[in-house]
Amino acid sequence: MDLNIRYMIDTFFLALTGVPVTLSITAVALLVSAPIAFFMAISRIYNIRIVKQVVSAYVSFIRGTPVVLQILIIYSLLPSWLNAMIKSLSWDINIFDMNPVIYAYIVFSLNTCAGLSEIFRSALLTVNKGQLEAALSIGMSAVQAYTRIIIPQAMVSALPNICNLTINLIKGTSLAFMMTVKEVTSIAKIAASYGYNYIESYLDILIIYILLCSVIQALFALVEKRIGSYKTLTGSAAKAV
Amino acid sequence: MLELKNIHKSFNNNEVLKGVSIRVKKGDVIVILGPSGSGKTTLLRCINFLERADKGEIFFDDLRVNIRTASPADISRIRKRTAFVFQNYNLFNNKTALENVTEGLITARKVPKPEAIEIAKKALSKVGLSDRENYYPSKLSGGQQQRVAIARAIAVNPDVILFDEPTSALDPELTGEVLAVMKQLAREGVTMVVVTHEMSFARDVANHIVFMDGGVVIEEGSPDEIFSRPREDRTKQFLSRILPVWDYVI
Repeated sequence: MDLNIRYMIDTFFLALTGVPVTLSITAVALLVSAPIAFFMAISRIYNIRIVKQVVSAYVSFIRGTPVVLQILIIYSLLPSWLNAMIKSLSWDINIFDMNPVIYAYIVFSLNTCAGLSEIFRSALLTVNKGQLEAALSIGMSAVQAYTRIIIPQAMVSALPNICNLTINLIKGTSLAFMMTVKEVTSIAKIAASYGYNYIESYLDILIIYILLCSVIQALFALVEKRIGSYKTLTGSAAKAV
Repeated sequence: MLELKNIHKSFNNNEVLKGVSIRVKKGDVIVILGPSGSGKTTLLRCINFLERADKGEIFFDDLRVNIRTASPADISRIRKRTAFVFQNYNLFNNKTALENVTEGLITARKVPKPEAIEIAKKALSKVGLSDRENYYPSKLSGGQQQRVAIARAIAVNPDVILFDEPTSALDPELTGEVLAVMKQLAREGVTMVVVTHEMSFARDVANHIVFMDGGVVIEEGSPDEIFSRPREDRTKQFLSRILPVWDYVI
């Protein structure tokens, strides 16, 4: 069969306009969940009662349900709930006019929280407890010890996993089309539906996702090299960094 | 200067310290001896609250702290007057040797950075590692790492340095360099409390020896008293197991 090259090129650039939305969902999910996930990880490491159980249950729940299902449930339940709530408060807001990307932010943040908390937990456990004790023993506070000693080292072992999670997240945001969010996938699909050029559209977004994910991987590799340098450098070479 | 009174500590219903009291005067080098599991390390860790004892008091000059009711401010005050050298060094792996030493000065004691670097360089030269300032811990030998740890401890100018088996993770050929540094500190009048199995260090450097077993102090006295004229059977038993080996090595 012949590919409609003209259409493909046009749609490629059309779909590119969805990249900011795709990236914004990814960025919001990561930024919102990072601090929450950190405290979730800490609560499990330090065995904080009740909080720890709630966190474990939450992580199991998120891991145990397909993202598609979470999207369907949140997208069909949340608006009506919010609507009922707003009505009972007699505010003058129409919840159904809200940009659907908000729901995408919520779903993907909930998801990322669970994954990230497990990544942080395992990463924090890779730094031996002795370094925390050493920091305390010279008079540093626990917060100083964490921000200056423990977290910088934990980040090095967490980065490959965070990169993995970020890439899965970017690819996962393609499901936001189910919530009528105008991101890369939905734009290409809508364009395709006018003239049944589905193959061309799919090839377009395939290229876009590969490009996006390659850039992300390259960025992570760069950061990893930068913050993990203490593992490989010696002597005067270390000074230059 | 430092006095611990009636320290009790249990781990899961297993009482490790059953009322231990020790007294440290300025300039003392106190060595705590005893078989494994006797509570030596736990006692040391209780002094600067790495382990929180269940009961007991700590007197630090005019600072009197009841361990059970100690506030975070009390703990911080005690930690700022002590330093700890660990069995497995516990250097900050993401910091160079120099940064390991400056870290506590800059973040905990708010010493200006240039001054901290100057202090740190002096401390590192004291332990003979001036040429390793910019090395990360992973590139240093065990003995060098432990010497950096000692530099980190002396740099904060504590009233007392606590050593927890500083040489037992080292190859026999590397223990010498660490012990030499500790002897040097002792000569300079640094107050130290040392848990060790190095009998030669205990005999030659300590001015007071505490023998512990089963969570209590069995006997204490000068090295001469403990090594030549031990009074308690358990002390004799312990020394007879340890000393022949030591004599053989020599």
